[in-house]
Amino acid sequence: MHADIVLGQLDKNEALRYMGHRGEDIDEQLDKLITKCEKEVLRCVKPRFVYKVCDISREEKGILVKDTNLFLTGNSIKKHLDGCDKAVLMAVTISADADRLIRIAQIRDMAEAVAIDSLCSVAVEQACDRAELIIKEENPGYYQTFRFGLGYGDLPISLQGQFLHVLNAPKQIGLNVSSTDMLTPTKSVTAVIGLSKNPIPQRARGCQTCSMNKKCQFRQKGGRCNG
Amino acid sequence: MARDFRELLKRDYVILDGAMGTMLQAAGMKMGETPEMLNITHPELLVSIHEQYLNAGSDVIYANTFGGNAYKLEECGHSVDELVTAGIKNAITARDNVKPEALVALDVGPIGQLLEPTGTLSFEEAYEMYAEVVKAGSNAGADLVVFETMTDLLDVKAAVLAAKENSDLPIMCTMTFEMNKRTFTGCMVPSMALTLEGLGVDAIGVNCSLGPKELEPVIEEVTKWTNLPVVVKPNAGLPDPQTNEYNVGPKDFAEFMKDLRKYGIRVFGGCCGTNPEFIKELSDMLKENGNAIVNELPQKVIPAAVCSATKVVPIDQPRIIGERINPTGKKIFQEALRKGDIDYILNQALEQVQAGADILDVNVGLPGIDEREMMITAVKSLQSVVDVPLQLDSTIPEVLEAALRVYNGKPIVNSVNGEEESLKNVLPLVKKYGASVVGLTLDKNGIPKKAEDRFAIAKKILDAALVIGIPKENVYIDCLTLTASAEQDGVVETLKALHRVKTELGLKTVLGVSNISFGLPNRVLVNHIFLTMALENGLDLPIINPNIEEMTGAVRAYKLLAGFDKNSVDFIKHYAGKQIVPKIVISENKSAGTDTKSGTDGARGIQQSASDNDTGLEGDKLALYNAVLNGLKNEGADCTAKLLENTDSMEVVNEVLIPALDKIGEEFEKGTLFLPQLIMSASVAQAAFEVIRKFMIKSDAAPVSKGKIVIATVKGDVHDIGKNIVKVLLENYGYDVIDLGKDVPYQAVVDAVKENDVKLVGLSALMTTTLVSMKETIELLHKNNLDCKVMVGGAVLTPEYAKEIHADFYAKDAKESVDIAKRVLG
Repeated sequence: MHADIVLGQLDKNEALRYMGHRGEDIDEQLDKLITKCEKEVLRCVKPRFVYKVCDISREEKGILVKDTNLFLTGNSIKKHLDGCDKAVLMAVTISADADRLIRIAQIRDMAEAVAIDSLCSVAVEQACDRAELIIKEENPGYYQTFRFGLGYGDLPISLQGQFLHVLNAPKQIGLNVSSTDMLTPTKSVTAVIGLSKNPIPQRARGCQTCSMNKKCQFRQKGGRCNG
Repeated sequence: MARDFRELLKRDYVILDGAMGTMLQAAGMKMGETPEMLNITHPELLVSIHEQYLNAGSDVIYANTFGGNAYKLEECGHSVDELVTAGIKNAITARDNVKPEALVALDVGPIGQLLEPTGTLSFEEAYEMYAEVVKAGSNAGADLVVFETMTDLLDVKAAVLAAKENSDLPIMCTMTFEMNKRTFTGCMVPSMALTLEGLGVDAIGVNCSLGPKELEPVIEEVTKWTNLPVVVKPNAGLPDPQTNEYNVGPKDFAEFMKDLRKYGIRVFGGCCGTNPEFIKELSDMLKENGNAIVNELPQKVIPAAVCSATKVVPIDQPRIIGERINPTGKKIFQEALRKGDIDYILNQALEQVQAGADILDVNVGLPGIDEREMMITAVKSLQSVVDVPLQLDSTIPEVLEAALRVYNGKPIVNSVNGEEESLKNVLPLVKKYGASVVGLTLDKNGIPKKAEDRFAIAKKILDAALVIGIPKENVYIDCLTLTASAEQDGVVETLKALHRVKTELGLKTVLGVSNISFGLPNRVLVNHIFLTMALENGLDLPIINPNIEEMTGAVRAYKLLAGFDKNSVDFIKHYAGKQIVPKIVISENKSAGTDTKSGTDGARGIQQSASDNDTGLEGDKLALYNAVLNGLKNEGADCTAKLLENTDSMEVVNEVLIPALDKIGEEFEKGTLFLPQLIMSASVAQAAFEVIRKFMIKSDAAPVSKGKIVIATVKGDVHDIGKNIVKVLLENYGYDVIDLGKDVPYQAVVDAVKENDVKLVGLSALMTTTLVSMKETIELLHKNNLDCKVMVGGAVLTPEYAKEIHADFYAKDAKESVDIAKRVLG
């Protein structure tokens, strides 16, 4: 069993950014709303995660996760794992309580719902950050790439079901996939991290590899999603 | 050879097998493969594993059918029937070879998809999939069915009903709990016990997730809440995160299990990480030490209680049943039901729970609507947002049955009465679904005047319930309140009957209180005094309007004075430091009206002052305009109410609300305001519209509508927040929005457009994978030659793609959807 992920506080500015905020001063009312919602989100969500360190081999069809039938396909993951000896498959969820919280807020107050929804997105990202650190601690001697999400670049989202199966995620953390490849509970992330004994040149998450490249609202407004 | 699981359960102990997956992996199966395929490709491997377990001492072996459902087997190229049959046959072969008296269990795990509302799988679809597995297993010769590793109580319920209705097999259910004594979906141990025992399964318990040591608190809790045989099938401890090796060996495992016997476990086995060695040690331990204690422990008295999956309400002290979800005599509620406005009902629910309701009565009966369908929708929707148990209220048995099927937990049925017809129709449903029931002390002759006659009917109802196997704890009697102004003597008779039912029959009592004051002034005063009298006479379940502070307060104070509220904890929590402002609320417009709790103070600082404004507004109009601009919800509603006293409602809409919203929209487009602020303003307008709508319904005027719009989040997509934002904005501008919700089938959109003669449809999708559903929906609309425009939106959409799928409009945000509506509908 891994150490539990505990979220001390949420990055409210990040949540504001998800809501379309571009750094203007926020009014008192909005500030109160966010603060109240942050408390509620922290009270409700239960981050859980599971990961597995796997050997990989490069095959014609894609990157084979050894001892499974899972092929990570597409060019972007190939590039991402370039020079890596192993791959970490990870899945993180902040549980169905987050979905429920958002549902309730939508009936009571839509503004609150938008704030809670964004804060939950922040929560799952922060949970992923914590998970990455735990993985680092538990696998000393390896350099890590950033986490590469399923659906990012040309790594197909249709791998979701098999990916979760390999991790035994339904049983381990209650994370499932719908018939349309959506993660349920919705505030969840699946990702691949490359491990290498040698230093890895820092490959930043770039807009060029992103599948949202042409549709991204952040880019349309001249920004980017990763700060 | 007769192999009867129910007979087997009479023994001191029954030994199950250990893990299957662990054994298959050890034999070389890769993670991510479909284990059931091995039933056909490697039958000898399966037979050998079963034989090892039988030789180690298993009385029951689980066939390799855990994931043998239509969803998980979808892509393997074999049918459910084929693989399940092969799985059972392998187990039977092993059994016949080694231990002919052993039993073969059809092993069934979760479908592999989450049920609504978190997932997209419906209760009904889950039922069908389980039914298919059960039929295959039963035909292949299984001796019992086991549902294991379940985390969602509603999922288990679908499975159990499928088993009961499609086979005669005995049923064993084990759910998987975490350290916090809850499953991943939040299901509590007593909820599992109350619900599954009610559904009539043969044994319940826990499997997987933790080792025997860590599971101890869970096991202790299970045995507290049931007299059924209890099953424990733990993992071999906890896995090491690096090696995935479990940390408890066979000997220690048996030692821990030995220790757990004290709680009264009858069925023992092992889950992940265990193998035949574990079962051998377990078997030796039980042979050596026996398990006589299981028969020596005293029979437990299970508390009278009802529950949802996530909340248990023991009826060990007065509990409030909220009465507000009932359209009788409420024009606004009726209007909401006719429009299918579920949010209205959900709001009523949240408000009552916040006010202190422990249970909610749900009645959606209204001439002209499909009560059965509405009841199913109401129960599912309510349980997606509140965790209090529900009291299902209808006069029609078919409606009650539909509600009982989809209810997650153990509900109350409201009601049965002393008439033969009623007893015959309602009690079997109560028994089948394991509910509690309200018995009304009336029969074909009406309500008896005298207490003794009502008592006699109560007795009759109890006897009829006992005969068909409904336990006494599940019968709650309503001695019926008569109107004091018409039948003053009747008040005492009601209380007398109540007291006798409570003390002589030992039953829980329920009473609708508000009727007492009908036709009198100061009804609240009369109601709460009567409530107090009834409580003192033994009332357990007052049915009241919990939003009225005096009523809820009376129950709280009574509980303090009668010693239920130990150390006054609950009372102090509610009242310490709070100023009590008595409010007399009877009519629905006040109690259900303006939102009084979510008030947010503070201003955005874009106030238009009276002297310096370009709106030309003044007085209350200007105040309302500013309230919208600044997102001040309470103020907005108050101003609207004041304005309506002497201003035409259309004038309020056209001169104040719409211009204010336009101004906000403009700022949003410019980027000076952003989404939450836009929505806060929209919420103020929404509150104002609500006041106007109620005002108009009260005065029988037609509600304002600028046209109807159907909106939906497409099939397969559960992300609906974007669509809901659009809804709020469209409603703000006076459009009638028919909201079909999320994960909406293509045909449902077409039907809604046809039925309501709608000219504009809004479709939303968040995921790339669900865009295809958007395309299909539009195609179907076009195929049906419907004269309506389609606008689409969602994070992954582009104007180009919108064009490609033949949408008429692409809305980049919620604000733009309003502009489109204006263009199409005016």
